[in-house]
Amino acid sequence: MPGWQIFYHELKDKNLEIVSVAQDTGGVKDAGPWIEKASAEYTVLIDEQHLVTKLYSMVNVPTAVWINEQGKIVRPNEVAFVDDRFKSYSHMDAGPYLDAIRDWVAKGERSSFVLSEEELRKRLTPVSPDRRMADVEFSLAEYLYHAGHGPEAIPHFKEAQRLAPDNWNYKRQAWLLSDADRDYGTNFTKEVQKLNGKPYYAPRQMPEPANKPK
Amino acid sequence: MRKLFPLAGLVFLCSMAHAAAGQAPRVVIYDGAVTELSAPSPFTQSKDLWVTLAELTRATGYVVKPQGVCRDELCFPLPKQRKGDFLVQRGKVTWFNLNEFARLVNQPVAHDEKLAAWCFGPRPEAQNSYLATLHAPNFTLPDRSGTLHSLSDFRGKKVLLITWASW
Repeated sequence: MPGWQIFYHELKDKNLEIVSVAQDTGGVKDAGPWIEKASAEYTVLIDEQHLVTKLYSMVNVPTAVWINEQGKIVRPNEVAFVDDRFKSYSHMDAGPYLDAIRDWVAKGERSSFVLSEEELRKRLTPVSPDRRMADVEFSLAEYLYHAGHGPEAIPHFKEAQRLAPDNWNYKRQAWLLSDADRDYGTNFTKEVQKLNGKPYYAPRQMPEPANKPK
Repeated sequence: MRKLFPLAGLVFLCSMAHAAAGQAPRVVIYDGAVTELSAPSPFTQSKDLWVTLAELTRATGYVVKPQGVCRDELCFPLPKQRKGDFLVQRGKVTWFNLNEFARLVNQPVAHDEKLAAWCFGPRPEAQNSYLATLHAPNFTLPDRSGTLHSLSDFRGKKVLLITWASW
């Protein structure tokens, strides 16, 4: 997050706001220390119910969406790292992505990174019935967990994971709330190994920045 | 490791009180809001959630009217020949089958039988409506100090929405 603060400082006077949302069932207790450490000037929110994950059908963090001045999506879900610390997972450089944001901030709708309506409609598709069921199973599991029924929450977390197997948020959050090896028979390291070279993040479909804005 | 939030703690204590009285409280999560139902349903064999009309309104905001099941501008007519699947009179109380309504309007439902909890998701039309307008779905969430912020507060600015997590 300190990286985003530097980036924000560069662009905040150019009518850009960063809205950063923690997907954490544990709320302030889990996300708070990270927020303190970042001492960010941009907006940092805490999403205990993974509402943004559900509303935007996200499957991973960090995921970014570009939204214009009228509140319209101009680039939907894609991986967004501010530096290259996690390049072994993303297989993508952060630099060109940050340059693309700079280009958008400078040129607005004329930026080549702003997607056409046709392209947006190709990328944004209706939520599948399985994902919709996964979302309610996850919500029920979160409720049971908070109500003091941790063990009873596990079958519902598992059902959410079964219905939305590509959703890392639903896996990693549930694993964190219990002993992953004991209760789920797996853990993050094992599941990443199972990818067997397949990318952990969906590759970005983005043109190379032609001219860097000044 | 178990975390009890103030509200969740209260729900837990309520559960214990009911358990002592030999009655499991029923819990419904609708539009993300948790409601405990006081009146036990007489339909003990049914896995569906039957609620009184007062509970229906309290938990979901829907009201049963002659033209259908309504909330704000929205009304869903009940199929005439199947009205008995939705509404059943027992003594002086009219019961409404919330799962049958969910099937009618295509809402997903998750259920925990042992703890008598039901969670209802959005209708697909509601969830996918932003695909027509391409307007970013709005949300309202707290910052670390508890102050609420909505995405729509930033209308007039470009917004880079980024999710992250501590895990």
